[in-house]
Amino acid sequence: MDWGLLNLETTKGNPDICIRCATCMAICPVSRVSPAFPGPKQAGPGAERFRNPKDASVDDWTELCIGCHLCETVCSSGVGISEMNLLAKAKYLDEKGRSFRDWLLTHLHRFDPLASRLAALVNPLLKSRPLRWLLDRFLGIDQRRELPRYEYPSFRQWFRRRQSLKGRKVAYFYGCYTNVHDVDVGKAVVEVLEALGWEVVIPPQDCCGIPRLGNGDFPGAIKLGTTNISSFQGVIGQGMDIIFSSSSCGLMIRHEYGRFLALPGAGEVAARIFDLFEFLNKEAQGKTLAERLSPLPGKVAYFAPCHLRALDISLPALEFLRLIPQLEVELIKADCCGLAGAFGFKKEKYDISQAIGADLALAIRDINPDLVLSDCEGCRMQIHHLTGLPVTHPIQLLRDSLKGGHIS
Amino acid sequence: MHFDLIIIGLGLTGLMAARTAVEEGRKVLLVGRGTGSLCIFTNSIDVLAAGGDMTIKESVTRWVREQPHHPYAKAGWDNLEASLASFTALFPPPYSFASREGKNSLIPTGAGTMRTTYLLPESFLAGALADMEKTLIVGIEGFKDFHAEYVAHHLKCRGITVAIPREKGNVTNAAGLASLMDDPSFCGDFAGLIKKRIAGEASIGLPALLGFRSSSRALEIIRTETGCQVFEIPILPPSIPGMRIFHRFKEYLTMRGVSIIQGHAVESSLRQGKRCLGINVAQSPLTRTYTADNFILATGRFFSGGLQTDENRIYEPIFDLPILQPPARRDWFQRRFFAAGPHPIHGAGVLTDHELRPVDQGGNLLIENLRVAGSILTHHDSTEELSREGVALATGYAAAKWTGGC
Repeated sequence: MDWGLLNLETTKGNPDICIRCATCMAICPVSRVSPAFPGPKQAGPGAERFRNPKDASVDDWTELCIGCHLCETVCSSGVGISEMNLLAKAKYLDEKGRSFRDWLLTHLHRFDPLASRLAALVNPLLKSRPLRWLLDRFLGIDQRRELPRYEYPSFRQWFRRRQSLKGRKVAYFYGCYTNVHDVDVGKAVVEVLEALGWEVVIPPQDCCGIPRLGNGDFPGAIKLGTTNISSFQGVIGQGMDIIFSSSSCGLMIRHEYGRFLALPGAGEVAARIFDLFEFLNKEAQGKTLAERLSPLPGKVAYFAPCHLRALDISLPALEFLRLIPQLEVELIKADCCGLAGAFGFKKEKYDISQAIGADLALAIRDINPDLVLSDCEGCRMQIHHLTGLPVTHPIQLLRDSLKGGHIS
Repeated sequence: MHFDLIIIGLGLTGLMAARTAVEEGRKVLLVGRGTGSLCIFTNSIDVLAAGGDMTIKESVTRWVREQPHHPYAKAGWDNLEASLASFTALFPPPYSFASREGKNSLIPTGAGTMRTTYLLPESFLAGALADMEKTLIVGIEGFKDFHAEYVAHHLKCRGITVAIPREKGNVTNAAGLASLMDDPSFCGDFAGLIKKRIAGEASIGLPALLGFRSSSRALEIIRTETGCQVFEIPILPPSIPGMRIFHRFKEYLTMRGVSIIQGHAVESSLRQGKRCLGINVAQSPLTRTYTADNFILATGRFFSGGLQTDENRIYEPIFDLPILQPPARRDWFQRRFFAAGPHPIHGAGVLTDHELRPVDQGGNLLIENLRVAGSILTHHDSTEELSREGVALATGYAAAKWTGGC
C-alpha cells in the first residue's frame, strides 16, 4: 500500500484534538498489563505527531494494539485512537514483512470447507501434542491455547439440506466461526427467527476480513469486503435486512468497510445490517417472544464483547435475556477477555492475552454462574479457556427457552 | 428507536438523571461521547465550600437566598438532599459515601494542600480524620503523578517512596497500578513493603489508585498488615475514584435496562417549532436517529464539549442555545491567571427558567420538552464554589423528575 497517498479524510486522523487527559490509559487492556505497550494516548495521538509517511516506522509496539476500540468508547474528544494505531501498524508490517504464521492465521477460512469435511481426522490432529509442539516451536502458535474444533456438517451444509419455512425474509451473515466451529449458534439463530415467522436467507458470503485488517493487510481485507458487499447489495435489492450474530464481523462490515476501506456501497450496507438482537428489538419482537418463553431456572453471567461496545448499540442481547422467566442474569464486570482474535494464539503474545483476561476470570468466579454468555466467539473461547465453564451465545439460551429446554 | 427520555451526557449529571428516571419506570436512552469529566476531576462529592462550620443545609439555604439564579436555587434544597440520598444509596458499604455530620470535611490532596469537600468515599475518610503529624505519605517509584516527599513537606509529615516488586513489571501509570491493587496478593506484598518503613506513624496516605473494583479490600489488606489507618489522596487526572463512580452507575443503569450509547457524539437535533423530536448520532458511515418525548441536555462545559468556542463567542453545539457570556473574547479571562476572584468564562453557560428549561435573554421559552442540567448552566462557577458534584446531582435529579411531570 502507498502510505504517502493514504486518505486521512476517511479517518479521524487528527492527533491535535487529543487533550492528553489519559482516560483511555485507564481502559486500555494491553497497557494495563504490559509496559511494552505505551498505551493509547502515547501510541495513538502522541506518536502520530511524529509519524511521517516517507520515514521508516520506528514504533514496533504498534503490533501490541489489539484493536478492541475501548479507548475510543471513553474518549471525550472523539480521537480516532485505534484507527491511528491500525494505520501505523499496517505501515510498520508492510515495511517489516509478515510472517507465514500471521498469513496462516488470517487466511484460515480458506481451509474451512476441507477441514470441516475431514473433521474426524483434523480434530485429533489439532489436539495431538507433537503437532502442537511443532506449531509452537516452528510457527509460534502457542501450544497452551486450544485450537477450535471443526464440525461437520458445516452450518451452511446443514442449512441447505433443510426445508426453509416461508415468511418475511431476512438475510443472515453467519461468519466463518459459526460455519465450521460453532454450528449450533447458526442453528439457534435460524430456529428463533423461524419461530417468529421469519424466513432466513443465506446470501453468498466470505470471511468479513477483520483478521486481515487486524494484521494491517488492507488489500486482503478490501478483496473480501468487495465480495461481501456485492452479495449484500443483492439481498438488500430484494428488500431484505441483513443480520449478524458475531459482533466482530458486524463491526467490520458496518463500520470498517466504510471508514477504513472506503468500499463503494459500504454506506448502503451499513444502513441495512444489524446485530441479531438489535434487529429483533427494531422489529419489536420482544413481546411476541416473552409470551412464548418457558422458565430457565439458573444463573447466567453475560459478557459484553469489546466490538459490541464499539458498535455502540447498547447491549440488546440483555433485553432479551431479561425476558426469560426465572433466569438470573448478571453482568460480568470486566473490560476485555484478552484473546483479541489471532493475537491470543501467538506465542509471544499469549502471556499478555492471559494477563488481560485475569480480572475477567476473577469477576466470573465471584458470580459463580451455571453458564456464561457472550456474543463474540473469541470471548467464548477465551472465557472457556480461563474458567473451564460452559460458554454459549445468548441466542442459544433464548432458543432453549423458546423450545422448553434447560440450561446445559 | 423511541424513548420516554433521552439524556445527552454521560457525566455525573446524566447518570443521576438516568437513575432518577429509570426508577420511575421510564424507558431511557443515555448518550454521550466518552466518559466526560467525571473520570477526570471527580474524587469525592463537593457541594459548596462557603459556610465554614455550618451544616451543608444551612450554607446552601443561605447561598440561594443571596444567589436567586444559582442552579441550587432552581433545583431547591429538597432536590439536592434527595439527589444526595439517591447517590449515597447506590453505594452500599464497604465503598460507601458519607459526610461528617452533614458538614464539610477537609482532606489532603496530591498537591499537599487541604481541600474542602462534602461526601467522602470510605477510602478518603481517614484522611479527613488523620493527625498529620503522625501520618506517613507513601508514593510509588516510577509513578510520576504523585510525589510523596513533596506532599509530605507541605503537610508537615514524613513521605517515602516504595518500589513495587520487579516481577510485576514496570507499570507506572495510575490505571495499571490500580489494577495491580485489585489483586490481593500484590496488595499484601505492597503493604509488607510499607510496614517495614513505618516509624511510629498512626495513619498512611496513598495516592488514590487502590483498585478499580476491590478498593475496600485493598484498603483492608493494607490496614491489617500495617496496623495503621489508611486513606487515599486525590491526585492528577485521570481519577480512579471517579471511574469507580462511573462504573457503579453504569452497571446499575445497564441492569435496570437503560440503553447506553457511549462512544459517539450527538451531532444535531430534530426540531419542530418549540419541540425537540429526536437527536442524530453520527457513527461513520451511518447517522442514527433516536426519538423521545423528553430530553435532558447535560453535556458539561468546555472539556466535555458541551460548550464550544470560536474566535469570538461561546456556543452550545447541539441545540444552539443562547449562552450568557462576556461581551467580547478579551473579557473571558482576568489579566492575571491567579488573580483574586473568578475568570468570567467560568460563569458562562446556558440560561434556563426556574424549572431548567432553556430560555433566551428575554426569558422566552425556547424548547418546551428539553431541560438543561449540570455544569453547562450559567449563574454558577463550580471551581470557585467547590460545587461541581452537588450541582450535577441536584439538577440532574430535578430535571429528570420534572420531565416525568413531578
